[in-house]
Amino acid sequence: MASDSPIASRKVVVHLRATGDAPILKQAKFKIAGTDKFSKVIDFLRRQLHRETLFVYVNSAFSPSPDELVNDLYDNFGFDGKLVVNYACSMAWG
Amino acid sequence: MERGGKEAQQYVWDGAIPLQIHLHDSEVTTLPPPAPALILAPRIGYLPLLSPQLKPFFSGALPPGVDTVWFDYKGLPLKWYIPTGVLFDLLCAEPERPWNLTVHFRGYPGNVLIPCDGEDSVKWSYINSLKEAAYIIHGSSKNVMNMSQPDQIDLWRSVMNGKLETYNRISSKLKLGIVRDDFSAKLNPSSSKIQHSVDETEATAAPKASRIPVRLYICNVDEDFDDFEEELHFDSWDQISYINRPVEINGEEFYPNSSNTIKAEFKNEPGIEAEEESKTGIIEGTSIESVESQSLSGQPVIKLVRIQGIEPKSEIPFSWVVKNLMNPDYFLHICLYIKAPKPLDS
Repeated sequence: MASDSPIASRKVVVHLRATGDAPILKQAKFKIAGTDKFSKVIDFLRRQLHRETLFVYVNSAFSPSPDELVNDLYDNFGFDGKLVVNYACSMAWG
Repeated sequence: MERGGKEAQQYVWDGAIPLQIHLHDSEVTTLPPPAPALILAPRIGYLPLLSPQLKPFFSGALPPGVDTVWFDYKGLPLKWYIPTGVLFDLLCAEPERPWNLTVHFRGYPGNVLIPCDGEDSVKWSYINSLKEAAYIIHGSSKNVMNMSQPDQIDLWRSVMNGKLETYNRISSKLKLGIVRDDFSAKLNPSSSKIQHSVDETEATAAPKASRIPVRLYICNVDEDFDDFEEELHFDSWDQISYINRPVEINGEEFYPNSSNTIKAEFKNEPGIEAEEESKTGIIEGTSIESVESQSLSGQPVIKLVRIQGIEPKSEIPFSWVVKNLMNPDYFLHICLYIKAPKPLDS
């Protein structure tokens, strides 16, 4: 279906927000392919922050499984055209 | 007639997979090698929780080193955060009993599996899954986050130890009742009392659409279904699509409707193995007509739907399925085998 293809190929805006004592990134908003897994966001943060241990949340609420698709997370939990991802160096929300 | 509802949930909680667990050859240092361990693994449990039972069994045969337990099935490392019953339903199309798994205590495949530090990791994963489900149902995870520490521990222990009563007592405080209990009553007046004990808090709520947290695990079978005992073998998790999309039900939904929406999900997905490219469909529990009108050609065929080891009959209302067959993380984990036609133009 032609009308469906934009969803398949769409990019999702991810808004990265530091929590607690985590360093703030110079660029906080990124675009990522919706068909990527959440693990890509986690890996990106690890590389940017040079940290192996990170706690990554959606909407200051929960940590999704690294296997979840960014598209699914955006559809289920995104708002205002973006997916808010919080990161912390220690556990922020149990 | 107070039968059915609670009983079904109890069956799910009592459900277990008989496992025959072999220590991987590369870790056997004794002659003769240790016998396989036979163990009953709860469906709603997670594989790492078995390690306290397995370690003493195999520790004498292991080479020196630090233990990090993981499992594989025919070479496929098993994701520890997927409930054991779901792994079995998904990877063992033709149920194999006992299910032969291999345990490893060395060489953790960090490139395939996220790290697991035993029970704490599993608990963390469970609570996060529960929070995610709460977010889908309520639009926030507050109810779970505000749970007292003792309640959280008791809830986790109830899952770990399969104590349904404790689980129901504590989880009812989370107010995550997701489906109204009069569906079954409408469909089958003789069993009108089935669900009352589970969801009393919602008894007076006005009918409205509910969002059901659903995790779909989908494998594409090309071969004829009869042969799949021989044919189906997973070398990689890339062969299985993992989709998280809530299903909305608004009171009139029957099971087939939901399965149609799942078909719609794959309408435009010619080859699942060909990468998770196009999850283009939308699950809309209410739009059966539009689904059918779209699905005249090239429609994937659902070969098998399995939830908690059961292939639910089409006359079972989806609300009943959700209520009774969901996992303790409030997600309904559905394993699907589909046969998707190859794209015509390829």
